[in-house]
Amino acid sequence: MTDKLIHQLTEDYAEYLKDESRSVGEAESISFPVSEEEVRAIVKEEYAAGHRITVQGARTGLAAAAVPHGGHVLNLMKMNRVTALRKGEDGLFYITVEPGAILSQVKKAIESRKFNQTGWSEESKKAFIEFSAAPEQLLTPDPTESSATIGGMVSCNASGARSYLYGPTRGRVNALRVVLCDGDVLALKRGEVFAKGRDLTLTTEGGKTINVKLPTYQLPKTKNASGYYIADDMDAVDLFIGSDGTLGVITSIELTLLPMPATIWGVTCFFAEESQAIRFVQKVREEIKNLSSLEYFDGRALNLLRKQKAESTAFAQLPFIDPAYGCAVYTEVHCDNEEQATAGLFAIGDAMKACGGSEDNTWVARNASERDILYFFRHATPESVNMTIDKRKKIDPVITKLGSDMSVPDKYLADVVAMYEKDLAAGGFDYVKFGHIGNNHLHVNILPRNGEEYRNGKELFKKWAAEVTKMGGAVSAEHGVGKLKADFLMVMYGPDHIREMAELKAAFDPKGLFGTGNLFTPITR
Amino acid sequence: MKFIVCIKQVPSTNEVRLDPVTHAIIRDGRQSVINPFDLYAVELGAQLRDRMGGTLTALSMGIPATERLLRECISRGADDAVLMTDRAFAGSDTLATSYAISLGVNAVGGADLILCGKMAVDGDTAQIGPELARTLGIHHVTDVAEVMDITEKDITVRKVTETGSFVEKVAFPAVITVVKDIVMPRLPSISGVRKSLDAPFKTFSAAEANADTARTGFNGSPTSVVKTFTPEGRTEAAPVEGTPADQAAFLLKAVKEVR
Amino acid sequence: MGKIVVDVNKCLGCGACVKVCTLGAIRVEADPAAKNKLGKIAKIDTGLCSLCSTCISGCKFGAISMDFGEGPALTDYHGVFVFCEMTDGEFAPVAYELLGKGRELADQLQTKLSAVFVYAGDGAAAEKMGRKLISYGADRAVVIPCEKKAENLEENYADAICELVNAEKPEILLFGATMFGRSLAPRVAAGLRTGLTADCTVLAIDEETGLLQQTRPAFGGNLMATIVCPRHRPQMATVRPGIMKALAPDASRKGEVVTAATGAKAISGLELLEVVKAEKTESIKDAKIIIDCGRGVGSKKNLKLVKELCEKLGTAYGCSRPLVDTGLCEYPHQVGQTGCTVAPDLLICLGVSGAIQHLAGITNAKKIIAVNNDPDAPIFAAAHYKVVADCMDVVKEMLAQL
Repeated sequence: MTDKLIHQLTEDYAEYLKDESRSVGEAESISFPVSEEEVRAIVKEEYAAGHRITVQGARTGLAAAAVPHGGHVLNLMKMNRVTALRKGEDGLFYITVEPGAILSQVKKAIESRKFNQTGWSEESKKAFIEFSAAPEQLLTPDPTESSATIGGMVSCNASGARSYLYGPTRGRVNALRVVLCDGDVLALKRGEVFAKGRDLTLTTEGGKTINVKLPTYQLPKTKNASGYYIADDMDAVDLFIGSDGTLGVITSIELTLLPMPATIWGVTCFFAEESQAIRFVQKVREEIKNLSSLEYFDGRALNLLRKQKAESTAFAQLPFIDPAYGCAVYTEVHCDNEEQATAGLFAIGDAMKACGGSEDNTWVARNASERDILYFFRHATPESVNMTIDKRKKIDPVITKLGSDMSVPDKYLADVVAMYEKDLAAGGFDYVKFGHIGNNHLHVNILPRNGEEYRNGKELFKKWAAEVTKMGGAVSAEHGVGKLKADFLMVMYGPDHIREMAELKAAFDPKGLFGTGNLFTPITR
Repeated sequence: MKFIVCIKQVPSTNEVRLDPVTHAIIRDGRQSVINPFDLYAVELGAQLRDRMGGTLTALSMGIPATERLLRECISRGADDAVLMTDRAFAGSDTLATSYAISLGVNAVGGADLILCGKMAVDGDTAQIGPELARTLGIHHVTDVAEVMDITEKDITVRKVTETGSFVEKVAFPAVITVVKDIVMPRLPSISGVRKSLDAPFKTFSAAEANADTARTGFNGSPTSVVKTFTPEGRTEAAPVEGTPADQAAFLLKAVKEVR
Repeated sequence: MGKIVVDVNKCLGCGACVKVCTLGAIRVEADPAAKNKLGKIAKIDTGLCSLCSTCISGCKFGAISMDFGEGPALTDYHGVFVFCEMTDGEFAPVAYELLGKGRELADQLQTKLSAVFVYAGDGAAAEKMGRKLISYGADRAVVIPCEKKAENLEENYADAICELVNAEKPEILLFGATMFGRSLAPRVAAGLRTGLTADCTVLAIDEETGLLQQTRPAFGGNLMATIVCPRHRPQMATVRPGIMKALAPDASRKGEVVTAATGAKAISGLELLEVVKAEKTESIKDAKIIIDCGRGVGSKKNLKLVKELCEKLGTAYGCSRPLVDTGLCEYPHQVGQTGCTVAPDLLICLGVSGAIQHLAGITNAKKIIAVNNDPDAPIFAAAHYKVVADCMDVVKEMLAQL
């Protein structure tokens, strides 16, 4: 069976050697399985042969987790179906998808209530009839890149703007199926298997028992996607969420849906000064309870968007950005009715005024198509960075994007921004800052103009990793560690804890072949 | 100068959903929105009002809940709003709608320039603009893509045609319908939203507007829908078999058909 | 005044209509007159009913219908009229298509088909143009004389057409749903105070009532509606170009060319200052036909062949992002999320795999033909036609056949 599934990685498959992080890897073979059965056969054979196995989805990741370091590329894009739907005893709907299902397509199916029901059980079909009659449902994770796959999102515990209110992907994952290195399968359901303290025992479908000693570190009390999720008495499902393809291959995911809030209004608030925006964030975080997101754009990000709008047809539809605007905060209220939303909007306006802003300098979106304009504005920021990088890469191929993904506790927001500004100015970098300011989680993107700046930027990020760790923060809050941030993980947890993580990995992957280079700094290069 | 912009309340999506059991069309309680094409008319109206001075009134015919969308027009730059609402207007086709809108225009004392979107995304008829103009007995220009000049007496516009464009000068009073992207609609500000909640808003019933009830609603609608159905679903791509030569011939034929 | 009526002989009391009615205007109640097992009949609350007709199509048993009541006598109206639009002194293709359809409708109604056109040329030229319309199926051609400065302004035409209709009383009047036709027809309809159905794709005569059934897409094509105009004449429709079939011209067809008593005059306050011909745009945004290249095209050499093909066919060329990233194509040609969103009538995708970012840019294309050697390529899910082949083999064949 496998000789038909596994292809030599010829020039035709070159695109599967890289991802959105712009890093390029190498591999000998590639496969595009369509079922769990095929995954099991491929994994069994490749693993037995001692080949490394890198699992891929849509390759939209920013940490190079899907970039292969030799061996076999297991691309799951053809496993993209919604396979089941059920209504739980809790009244919530649960949807089961294959890992290659694309977020935007799953969201569209949920919104338009149109699914390809081929192969669905009678129970699922019955649940669909209830689903059709039920109020609109919401899949909460909303990473900016909506062409990500659900499998990829689970593997790096992806977040998005709305994670400020709803938390990351983790909280929506109710069950997983994971193919292990010998082709055996772990079927895990939330609420069924727990660790005892830091000891976890798992039983596979094949009847095998796996005993795992969990690492002893404490997770930072911030938004976090750095390394294995570990806690006392933790649920076994959580170990695999955010495991970056290092323990096995996820082949099925059950996600929890929530009822869509009746009224969602968004507003972009512009300020003259960064300090005003920070004060505003601190104020609304305290005072307004139903905010789902708080997203920041610094002045340089606004300048980049102004330039993009002028130069590129794809961005011509961006709204006109008044030259007087110095920076912006996007926020969104999720409410039961319009009265609440109006009150929320006016409270936001009052907070702006209290922080030296003006209600005139806002863009309000009260329906989906208006929100789409503001989302487009948000998405255009990283897209513009990428396009700039692609241009510069043509001048010096060593240049790739340098994007930080660090979070700190609330009280350090002003400090961490001050640190970024001071160090970036000292280094003379071209850069932008944007992202999830509500979680003190800004993406600093350095746009290197030459190889030297690229190297200096990398060093700077390493320094920040140490500083952020000192503040009790996380070196990766949502993108995952992948390959690009493995050395930061060492800074964050230290060699002893990293060794514990390696022992955990060895319990599932004794030969160290799954996701080689992810989480752990490469031993061989 | 007096400007009026006509808007229509439409469903926020034009996707049609079928009940899985009865196969009937589900009109779920999705939020209604301003017809997207009308947003361009609102923005253009606001810009022309800013340039020439005067007022911009938002006008619609619909259920009382349309007030929310008319107030949204105010948050986007209109000064006040008028809603024609009455059970007597129910079941209107484009002719009866144009009549009801014309009553609204007269009720506010007429206008120099009336702006409409090119068409509504639910009905797709593009008929209201010209029918309204004829009902009022004034000029109209459709598919306006650019305002080249405006004076107290007339407006010079560029309208798109299949083969290029026409530059037309039209004396007031007149109706123009505008195409997508003639201007970029602004998003309202929080202060705009505050203002819209207190701004003047008037409703007119058929009687208040002195309507001839033979011309309103179902009575005034010559056309009626006798059947609605969803077109056959998108089927899978049809394979084009044969040698590359056959396939090439198929492609060339397709190009020829379109050109 | 019309109303929705329920046929007690057909109603099964199932309540399907109750579910589809958004106004809650229908209830199913026990009624001794019921002829079904449940002993129930659907009742319409006329106070709540907006006559939207959703229930008519919602009833699978044909038990619900619209009762139009008694209308004025409409028997004075006879004949099918077709307005034949002209551009640059020639008839638009849709004029011939309308004549083809008009012929069929007139035959079914056993009446005459008249072709109407507005013309600024002299009598002899008008006669020649009229003959042409007759050769395409008209029984007679009516020329409305036009002042030169009244040309191309629909308002000037509208009043003359209204006068002609009032004099000749046709039962059906059709226009092409061109930009001009969609501006002119509603102005005429409002002048005549009759019904007009926009952008029809199907026209048929109802055998029972003799009414023109006009079927058109609404909701952006997601819903089809069949519309009638029972109590007013003429029954007017604009008809989407490219749908109806023109007849082959037959120069031996007989018919007379007449000049209308009315004429199109230049109305004051309206001036056509300039006619601008569209320049050939470089932008793929507005292109009618685009050949869209993906990674499957492969090399610079192959791309040169594709560009040659585009030039010969007069089409634009687009490309997917990898081709821009690798420097094979220029950014202005990039289709997709970070490039251009296109809406051509025809999109030919050559070796495009169909990444979701690319698909985001082509959803508005009317017809998509995809060529790819991978039969499972995602592009085929978005395409109307699937050509499984090496795209360069096909390109070379196309060039050879030109």
